[in-house]
Amino acid sequence: MSSLTLGIAILIISAAYFFVANRASSSQRAAGTKFHSLPHYYGLYAALLAFLPAFAILLVLAIGDDLVFRSLALDFVPDEVKASKNYKEVIVMAQITNVVDGINFGEQPDWVYAAAEAWKGWDATSTTLRTILVISLSLLGGMFAYRQVNPGFRSRNAVERIIMTILAASSAIAILTTIGIVFSVIFESLRFFALVPVSEFLFGTTWNPQFEGAERAGSGQMGLATYGSVPLFAGTFLISIVALTVSVPVGLFSAIYLSEYATPKVRAVVKPVMELLAGVPTVVYGFFAALTVAPFIRSTGMSLGLDVASESALAAGLVMGIMIIPFVSSLSDDVINAVPQALRDAAYGLGSTHSETVRQVVLPAALPGVVASILLAVSRAVGETMIVVMAAGLAANLSFNPLDAVTTVTSQIVTILVGDQEFESAKTLSAFALALTLIVITLGLNFVALQIVKKYREQYE
Amino acid sequence: MSDVTKGRISPDVAASRVAAGLAARRSKEKRFQLYGKIAIGIALAFLVTLFVSIFSKGIPGFFQHYVTLEVTLDRAKLDPAGDLSVQSLYDGDARGVIRKALYEATGASGRSGRKAAGKIISGGAEQRLREAVLNDPSILDTTQSMTFAVDDDVDSFLRGFIKRETPEKDRRINDRMIGYIDTLTEQGLISFQFSDYLIFGSASRNAEMAGIFGALIGSILTLAVCLVLSFPMGVATAVYLEEFAPKNRVTELIEININNLAAVPSVVFGILGLAIFIGIFGMPRSIPLIGGVVLALMTLPTIIISSRAAIRAVPPSIRDAALGVGASRMQTMLHHVVPLAMPGMLTGTIIGMAQALGETAPLLMIGMVAFIVDVPGSVTDPGTVLPVQIFMWADFAERMFVLKTSAAIMVLLAFLILMNAAAIIIRKKLERRW
Amino acid sequence: MNSADQSHNFATAGLPAETVGDVHVDHPRMTARNVDVFYGDKQAIDNVTLDIGEKQVISFIGPSGCGKSTFLRCLNRMNDTIDICRITGEIALDGQNIYDPKIDVVPLRARVGMVFQKPNPFPKSIFDNVAYGPRIHGIATSKDELNDIVESSLERAGLWNEVKDRLHQPGTGLSGGQQQRLCIARAIAVSPEVILMDEPCSALDPIATAKIEELIAELSSEYTIVIVTHSMQQAARVSQRTAYFHLGKLVEVGNTDQIFTNPQHEMTNNYITGRFG
Repeated sequence: MSSLTLGIAILIISAAYFFVANRASSSQRAAGTKFHSLPHYYGLYAALLAFLPAFAILLVLAIGDDLVFRSLALDFVPDEVKASKNYKEVIVMAQITNVVDGINFGEQPDWVYAAAEAWKGWDATSTTLRTILVISLSLLGGMFAYRQVNPGFRSRNAVERIIMTILAASSAIAILTTIGIVFSVIFESLRFFALVPVSEFLFGTTWNPQFEGAERAGSGQMGLATYGSVPLFAGTFLISIVALTVSVPVGLFSAIYLSEYATPKVRAVVKPVMELLAGVPTVVYGFFAALTVAPFIRSTGMSLGLDVASESALAAGLVMGIMIIPFVSSLSDDVINAVPQALRDAAYGLGSTHSETVRQVVLPAALPGVVASILLAVSRAVGETMIVVMAAGLAANLSFNPLDAVTTVTSQIVTILVGDQEFESAKTLSAFALALTLIVITLGLNFVALQIVKKYREQYE
Repeated sequence: MSDVTKGRISPDVAASRVAAGLAARRSKEKRFQLYGKIAIGIALAFLVTLFVSIFSKGIPGFFQHYVTLEVTLDRAKLDPAGDLSVQSLYDGDARGVIRKALYEATGASGRSGRKAAGKIISGGAEQRLREAVLNDPSILDTTQSMTFAVDDDVDSFLRGFIKRETPEKDRRINDRMIGYIDTLTEQGLISFQFSDYLIFGSASRNAEMAGIFGALIGSILTLAVCLVLSFPMGVATAVYLEEFAPKNRVTELIEININNLAAVPSVVFGILGLAIFIGIFGMPRSIPLIGGVVLALMTLPTIIISSRAAIRAVPPSIRDAALGVGASRMQTMLHHVVPLAMPGMLTGTIIGMAQALGETAPLLMIGMVAFIVDVPGSVTDPGTVLPVQIFMWADFAERMFVLKTSAAIMVLLAFLILMNAAAIIIRKKLERRW
Repeated sequence: MNSADQSHNFATAGLPAETVGDVHVDHPRMTARNVDVFYGDKQAIDNVTLDIGEKQVISFIGPSGCGKSTFLRCLNRMNDTIDICRITGEIALDGQNIYDPKIDVVPLRARVGMVFQKPNPFPKSIFDNVAYGPRIHGIATSKDELNDIVESSLERAGLWNEVKDRLHQPGTGLSGGQQQRLCIARAIAVSPEVILMDEPCSALDPIATAKIEELIAELSSEYTIVIVTHSMQQAARVSQRTAYFHLGKLVEVGNTDQIFTNPQHEMTNNYITGRFG
C-alpha cells in the first residue's frame, strides 16, 4: 500500500474507533452508569490513539526508507568506481534511482541494474512491512483506548493532554527550523573553512570561485580559485548605502508628513498606497530594475559623459531603496506616534512652530526608534536577493563607485547554488560560508535594533 | 546675584525680538512641510513609474498576433496509420498540411520563398492542429479555417519593434518574409487577439508559445502545501504560547527563535531546504512539496505573530466567563478563544500566503528554476512557480518575452491584490472590537 | 427616585443663567467674552465671560470635566492642536482678539506661557530645556545673554541652587517637583506676560507642592497667572480671585476670600463644602 492509502486507511480505522468508543460509552451512560467525561471524549481518545502513533511511524518510514536504501545501495558500487577521481555519490544514486523509476538514459553498467533490482526488492519488502506495522499499530492503539472506556477513566483530561502535547510540539517547530538552518549552514561552512582559511575568506580581496575542482585536482595549494569575500561585502554595502540614501529621507519625511501634517483623509489614502510598495514581490522589482531603471541610468549617464556599467550598483540600489521606503516610513510612523503628547504640548506651549516641534522635540525623542527602524531596513537590504540577482550582475569588483557593476553576498549564493551542484567542491561550500556570514549580520542588526526599540519603549512607559 | 536685572528681558523687548524672527520661521515651516510633500511625491512617483512601466508592457503582453489559414485536413497525410492514435498523428505530416495552406495564402513559391514563408508561423501550429483533430476527428478530409500564432519575430515586426527601414541584414526577418506578411495582412488574415498561449501555455523557449499555466498550477500546489502546514502549525504555536506555555527558559527560547526567524533573509530558507530536504533526505529537486515546506517555515513567524496578537485581543472576561461555568482551559480555548480570534488569524495567514506567493529566492535554491514543460499534476511532480517563471523569462532578450513577463507580473499582482483585499475584508467584516 | 438620579439632578439643577459675581476687573490683561467651545458635537464651554486681571493670580476650580482646563487651553490657543475643537466668542490679550485670523499663534504663545499637569521636560539637558524657548524665538542676542536668561529663569523658579552644578545633565533626571519647577523656568525664560498653569501640582508630593505654591506667590508680582486646580486649599492659598466652573459654565467668580467664606451661589457652596465634586 502506498503511503497515501495507508494514511487514509488509518484515518478510517480511527473514525471507526471513534464511533465504537462513543457508542460504548453512551449506551452504558444511558443505562445509568456515571462517566467522568462526555461520550465523545472517549471516542476522541480512541481515535487519537488509533491515529497518532501509526501516523508518526508512517511518516518516519516514508522518509526514512530511502535513506536506508541509499546506504545499502552503496555496497553495490564497485570499489574501482568508488576509487576513481570523478566518483560522486550523488550521480551514482541518480543512476540507480533512475533505473528504479524506469527512466533509462542509455546503457548503464551492470552493477547499476543489480543495485536497482535489489532496491526494488527492498522497496517491496519495506512496503509490506510498513503496511503491516502501521495498520496493526493503529488497530492496537484504538483497541487499547477502547478497553479503557470505563466510568472511572478521565478521557477528557487524556484528550486534552494529547492536544496540549501537539500544541507544544508545534511550537517546537520554530526551534527545529533554527536548528535546521544552523546545521545546514555550519557543517558545510566548516568543510569550506577546512579548504580555505578563514582569514582569506574574511580579508581576501579577490572573489573568483570559477575553477571548480582545482583544489581537489591538486593543482597548487588553492588552484586558481580565490575566495576573498571582501568584494562581495563591499558590493552589498555599496548597494545598501544607495538604497538607504533613497529610502531613509523619503521614508522618514513621508512618515513625518503623514503623522504630523496630513489630514486624516489624506493619511487614510496615502498610507496604504505607500504600503503597496512593500507588497510588490521582489522579483517584480528585479525586473523593473533590470529592464527599466538600469537602461535609463545608463543612457542618462552616457548623455552626461559618464561611464556607467549596464548592471550598475546604482540601479539595483535605487530600486531596493524604493522597496524599503515603506519599511522605514511605517516603522518611523510608529515611533513618531509613540512620542508622548505631553512633549509636543510643552513645545507648543512655548510657542514653537509645528516644524520646530517636530525637528527639535519629536525627532530627537523618537531618534532611537528611528535608528532601529533604519537598522531593520539595512538588515532587509543586506538580505534582499532577487533585485541584486537580476540587476546587480556578478562581477566581483571591489569598487565604491555606484556606477560600476558590483555583486553581493546573496546574488553569489544564488548563482552558486542554483542548478545542479556537487556538495563536495569549495565553490559550492563557499555559498554556505557566505550564508553563514549573512545570517550573522542580519541577526546581529536585528538584535541591536530590537534592543534599541525595547529601551525606547521602556523610556515612555 | 548682584545685578537683579541680569538675564531679565522685559516682555516688550522679548515680544519685539520674537516678532523679528517670525517671517524666517514661517518660511522654514513652509519649507519643512514641502520636504514632506516632496518625499511623499517621490514615493508615489516611484510607485506610479513601476506600475506604468509594468502595465504599459504587460497589457500588450496579453495579446499576440495570429494568422488564420484555410487548411485542407488531408486524412492520409495527418493520420497515416488511420487509427487516430497520438502516435499516428505525430507520425503524420501536420507541418506539411499547414505549410501548404500557408504557401497558398502567401503565394510563396520556390525553395527560398517557401523557407521564408514557413518561418512566419509558430512552431506550435502543428500541435494545435493535432489537438483539433483529436478533439473532433470529423474535421478530417474537410477544409477548415484555422488560427495559428505567428512566430515571435513576425509578431515583433507587426508590433513595430522590428522596423521595415532597418537594413535587411540587421533584422531578424528578411524582405521576402515582409512581403508575405504584407500579403497576409492585405487579405485580413492577420489578427491581434487575446493570447491563449499566455494563460494556457506552459514553459517554452519559443516566446509566442510560452505561457504561465504550468507555473500557475505550480504556485497553487506550492501554496496549498504551505497553507496546509503553516496554518495549523502557526495557530497551534500561537495558542500554546499565549494560553498554555509556562513562563520558562524553553518558552523564552521559542519566542526568541520566532523573532529571529522573522528576520532571517528568505534565501536562507532556501538553503535550509536544499541542505536538509534535498541534501540529507534525498528528496527530488523542483517539487512543489519541498517548495511548500520551505515557504511554510518562512511564513510561520508571520502567522504566529499575527495569531498571537489576535488571541491577545480576546478580552480576559470571555475566558473568565467560560472558566466560571466550569469549562476546562482546553475547552475555553477551543470553544471561545480560537473562534473569536479566527478572523485575526485568517488575516495574518492570508498576508503570509501573499508573501509566499511572491517569494522567489528560496525556490531558486531548491531547484524550482528548472525548465519544466509539463504541468505538475501533484505536489511531487517537478514544477515551477509564477515568480520563478517571471525570473526565468526576464532573462530572455526576445521582445515578446519582455511583454509576456510583464503580463505574467500583472497576473501575479492581481492575485496578490485579491489576497490582500480578502484580508482587509475579513478584518473589516469579522473582526470585533472590544 | 434612586440615589443616582438624585445626585444627578442635584448637580445639574440650578445652573445660573448668568455668572454670579463680578466678571470684570479694573485692569484686565485678558478678556473673554461669550466663549463657547465644542469638541465635535459636544459643547465643552458654554458662554463664558471673564476678565483676567494684570499681575494677579486667578484660580479655576470645579469638579472634573467641568471645562476649567479646556477654558485655560483656549487662552493661548493650545486647543488648536486638537482637530475637532471649535471656539466661538472672543478672547483678547491686551485688547487684541487672539482668535483673529491675522494673529500668529507663535508670538501669542511666547506671550502666554503654559505649565502642564504632568512635568514634561524635554529629553535634553537642564540648560537646553530652559534655553529652548529663547533659542527658537531668538530672544537672546548673544551666548552670554542666553546664559544669563537661563540663570535668571532658574533663579526665579527657585531651582538655580539645586541644579547649577549639573546644568548639562538631562532634565528628566530631576525629581518630580524639580522637573515642574524646571518647566516653570522654561516658561518664564521667554518673558511671557501671562502664565497658564494646568493643575501644576497634581502629580507632586506635598513638599514639592508647597515649593511650587511659594513660587507662584513670588511670580505673581511680575506675571499674570491663571491656575487650574482641583485643590480648594491651593486655590485659597495662592490666588486673589477664584472662578468656579460647572458643566462648562462659569457659575461664580469673585475674590478668593469671598468665594471661600461666603459663596453666593448654592452650587459653589455645595462644591467648596465638599458636598459633591
